[in-house]
Amino acid sequence: MKNTRVAVDVGGTFTDVVIMDETTGAIRIEKTSSTPDDPMVAILNGIDQGGIDLSEVSMFSHGTTVATNALITRNLARSAMICTEGFRDVVEIRRANKEDLWDTYKDVAKPYIPRRDRLTVRECVDANGTVLEKLDEKEALRIAHVLKKRKVASVAVCFMNSYTNGANEERMRDILLSVMPDVPVSISSQVLPEIFEHERFSTTMANAVVSPSVVDYVARLEGKLADGGYERDLLLLHTGGGVMTPASVKDFAARLAGSGIAAGAIASRFIGNLCGFDNSIGFDMGGTSTDVSLVYEGKSRVTKDWYIEYGYPIRFPSIEVLTIGAGGGSLAWKDEGGSLRNGPQSAGAFPGPACYKNGNEVATNTDANVVLGRLGTSLAGGKITLDPALAEASVRETVAEPFGMELHEAAEAVVAVANANMANAVRLLSISRGYDPRDFALVAFGGAGALHGAAIAKELSIPTVIIPPNPGVTSALGCLLVDIQHDFSDSFMAAAADTKPEDLEAAFERLEAMAADRLKHEGVAPKDIVMQRTVEMMYQGQWRALAVSAPSKVTDIEALIDGFHSEHQREFNFRRDDAPVSIFRVGLTATGMVPKAELQKHEVRKNKPKTDKTRDVWFDGKAHTAMIFERENLTAGATFDGPAIVEQFDSTTVIPPNTTAEVDQYMNILIRVQE
Amino acid sequence: MSDSKALDPVTFEVLKNSFITSVDQMAEQMLRTCYSFVIYNRDFSNALHDAEGNSVAQGNDDIAVHVGTLHFTCKDVIRVFKGDMMPGDVYAINDPYAGGTHFSDVRLVRPIFDEDELIGFSQSNGHWSDLGGSVPGSFDVTAKDMFREAVRITPVRLFRAGDFCSDVANLIANNTRDPASIIGDIHSQAQATQVAEREILRLVRKYGREQVKQGMNEVQDYVERAVRQRIAALPDGTWKSVDYIDRDPSGGEGMIPIHIKMTIKGDQIHYDFEGSHPTIGSMYNSAPGATFSAVVAGMKTFFPDLPLNSGFYRMLSVAAPENSVVSAQWPTAVTGFLMPFEKIMNSVFEMWSEIMPERAIACAFNLEYLLAGGTDKRREEDSTFLFYESPVHSTLNTCWRGARTSGARRTLHSCSTNGSPAVGADGAVRMAATSPQPASEPGSCLSPTKATSGSTRPGRLNFRSKKTAQARANGAEGQGCRKPPCFWKVKNPSCPMSATANAPSSGVLMAVCPPCRMV
Repeated sequence: MKNTRVAVDVGGTFTDVVIMDETTGAIRIEKTSSTPDDPMVAILNGIDQGGIDLSEVSMFSHGTTVATNALITRNLARSAMICTEGFRDVVEIRRANKEDLWDTYKDVAKPYIPRRDRLTVRECVDANGTVLEKLDEKEALRIAHVLKKRKVASVAVCFMNSYTNGANEERMRDILLSVMPDVPVSISSQVLPEIFEHERFSTTMANAVVSPSVVDYVARLEGKLADGGYERDLLLLHTGGGVMTPASVKDFAARLAGSGIAAGAIASRFIGNLCGFDNSIGFDMGGTSTDVSLVYEGKSRVTKDWYIEYGYPIRFPSIEVLTIGAGGGSLAWKDEGGSLRNGPQSAGAFPGPACYKNGNEVATNTDANVVLGRLGTSLAGGKITLDPALAEASVRETVAEPFGMELHEAAEAVVAVANANMANAVRLLSISRGYDPRDFALVAFGGAGALHGAAIAKELSIPTVIIPPNPGVTSALGCLLVDIQHDFSDSFMAAAADTKPEDLEAAFERLEAMAADRLKHEGVAPKDIVMQRTVEMMYQGQWRALAVSAPSKVTDIEALIDGFHSEHQREFNFRRDDAPVSIFRVGLTATGMVPKAELQKHEVRKNKPKTDKTRDVWFDGKAHTAMIFERENLTAGATFDGPAIVEQFDSTTVIPPNTTAEVDQYMNILIRVQE
Repeated sequence: MSDSKALDPVTFEVLKNSFITSVDQMAEQMLRTCYSFVIYNRDFSNALHDAEGNSVAQGNDDIAVHVGTLHFTCKDVIRVFKGDMMPGDVYAINDPYAGGTHFSDVRLVRPIFDEDELIGFSQSNGHWSDLGGSVPGSFDVTAKDMFREAVRITPVRLFRAGDFCSDVANLIANNTRDPASIIGDIHSQAQATQVAEREILRLVRKYGREQVKQGMNEVQDYVERAVRQRIAALPDGTWKSVDYIDRDPSGGEGMIPIHIKMTIKGDQIHYDFEGSHPTIGSMYNSAPGATFSAVVAGMKTFFPDLPLNSGFYRMLSVAAPENSVVSAQWPTAVTGFLMPFEKIMNSVFEMWSEIMPERAIACAFNLEYLLAGGTDKRREEDSTFLFYESPVHSTLNTCWRGARTSGARRTLHSCSTNGSPAVGADGAVRMAATSPQPASEPGSCLSPTKATSGSTRPGRLNFRSKKTAQARANGAEGQGCRKPPCFWKVKNPSCPMSATANAPSSGVLMAVCPPCRMV
């Protein structure tokens, strides 16, 4: 009987394999060292280590970093791009912005496809979709032979105005395939049929360059899993927060580019939901950086402003994750103006914080936490021991002496600055988008999330903090809890007031037909398909549109316009009822529901946990005697007051004074932060 | 101001970062709600000011040509409305003669009150698509005075205690070719300033009014301290440079020199434009605010990591002769201020490249772009259109190491029919053409900025700096020892730049010689 679900999250250091028993909902986790040269090796090791019988597996889902790493390291197969004559350099010119405006020595990265491999051909389609000039087929054929000679592994076809009419692009693709049938061809009218050539070209280019390695990787993994007896589809987590099957990977490889980041956001959404919160903020703090994500009314915020390297947008809808350079290893320093700074420089995995005894002498957040007693000196079940003397020395030297502070005052200062920076990141994603943090729960995870979560919540007046059972491997859980999902969009430019509901309905129905087709191709039964419509609107004359959800049958345009006004009010704090509204685009998210397994529930018995272990932990300038609990000794229903510390294999949870903690039926710790 | 005890390091750092965050939030909001396609292409900036109008924080991604001008316009608003401001007010200003850049850059300024006390201002500055004048897009090359250029907005009230003053807004909007977008951008920018107000008041609730006010002062002190430390570490000396506008479109052949002398003494820097050409009969004049900004932007490129606010400006003084091409007064045409701006920036690059060869960059600028606009006769409504095309890489690619957009972000390839972002511009095009016309003298009865006396003496480079500068370069591993492998040598001995270019240290010098164009 197939009753095991497996999810694999490949990280930089570890590959986490989460194994779930569908009948009991029990979860166990195998950790193996990642193998960056071929991530598959670690996955197979993990499967081995966990003693998983693949023929018993009902679902295998995977968050992969293959596409991300290929783009970051630029370990890319030789690819070519074919553009309309005169538009060869669109991707080189970009939008002429720089990430760092002032530092002239920081170059913007080069396009993924170098100029010599970007060729042009005559053709012309106007902005209304009329073909003014057919593709020059003789030239197209010549180009196909040139590319064959160059042995390119993938081709992107990017023509002007192709979002209105892809006929010339399709013809170009067919000619290429007639010459080199095995080479994947990404055409912009299929990859991203949207206005604005740089964004469309750049997305298509990214899709083309990652395609060979991703398709190869997926095929090999699929083969290995099949060899082991796995009979279902391999599911791959994509940036939009759903999964897709290998059948779609072929055409939309770049959708996997943010696979790893999405996993954490999905997990926090799930856990927030489990605890009864429709609104939650995911706070994933690791060693060098912190990822913040936001869920409102059960949905993750999605953005199309996304890239791996600045200047080369990948405009597939992506779960919005804000990453800042603040983590456990972030360094504290005094700058030349005399300010106490924290990060973004990090001590990294090696040498790591001073207390790791690897030679770093500059104080990190971890060192400050050790000095304050918030972090114990024995981690990972005793596998790692920290040296408190080195932590003290680093804080003394880096902060206490330069600023004339007492040791503990200095350590609190380090942590306070780090917390303030992270709180600002949360603020950018919440308050500045019109969300009030007081309506949210903070789901804190990652290696250091539980250590700082309560303080961040206090800073932002977030009433509840949720610490999942295994904070260090929460991301992998995200891969386990997903549905097959695809996003579709189409241009629809019209004045809203003049739009007939039936025209809009027809546009949605076209998208739905495409969506149904693709999901069918992936083996999803019609009854498991859920379609969510959005219409992107703006005040006439604005440059960015705002997505508003649309009903499954459009009958009333006025209602949509009203919806836009209120969404604009929430997002930007103003509305213009007198101004005409334009429709810009229609969008569709098609979901193939995957049956969900229930996590294991535990019987809740109210109890006051006991412990013999205490230590001095510093808060607000003085030492408090805090109880130290082992997480595995806490049972569902355990309730206790701060100050307390909960230690476990992969994380440490800080429960500050004036807060209370409670373990729920899913073994989450809920910290109630009092104002 | 107050001499109460300094903030503790944590409160200071938190306030400092929160000020910057609040400004970045304004930027985000503008980008997402703007109507002007020029703003959409990031030609905008935002700032937070203290109650005196000094800038406390500017956006991380603000366009370079606006830096160093926002405090001037804020102060001009204060000059006009002092004693007559209330919560919910918003004022507009675009006056280049009061410290702005050109008319297209319209600034909305909101006073921030905590109860009855004015504690600061937030300012949002965006390049509107059109502000009237003789040609679409408001860039008339042939204009000799501002009356042909655009609507000049001296400080006016656009919101009174939260109520929109539609009469004033309509007066401005109806003098442009794109009234609907102008009203839209007014709302977009006014709301952006409110974002910062909300954030500052949150900080006040949390830390208290006095602490926040003090934070605003200390953040400026902090930047001043950091800049002064860097300047003090440099050798004293005097550097000179000259760059040229190719010609005065109204005056036939003949180059327009802009001279700069830079003097570093201790931790203070003085720039003097003595000897620069008088104002010319076209839009290529710069008013004092923009000239100050050019100096700041040029210098800032050598201190990319330092934040910008009024603290940065305290060690800086700038002087220019009366009514010169870099100190134009009302009503001289100034819309093309970017031309002298870029010449100044190039010269500042050149002088600083001598001092800090490890960050040397070539003169990377020339103002060149196409702006076409007019009426698309195929459309009945929204028929006005504008087309900007800026060849970002053209000039820049001529300098190897200088092939970077160092300061100004360029509006690029932006095309718009008014109203909807549909692309397709093959309509009737009226060019902002460069046809030369007879010159007329701009007004001469104007008050001087800060005149200096004495003629320019042919200067020599002060080589006292050389050794130290070289030592600094050698010690700059952190910079990756990026010495440019190629450079230009000026061969024309009569070229005014030959002294610079043939200097013994020129192994790291890169400069295209503008006067003789020899490389």
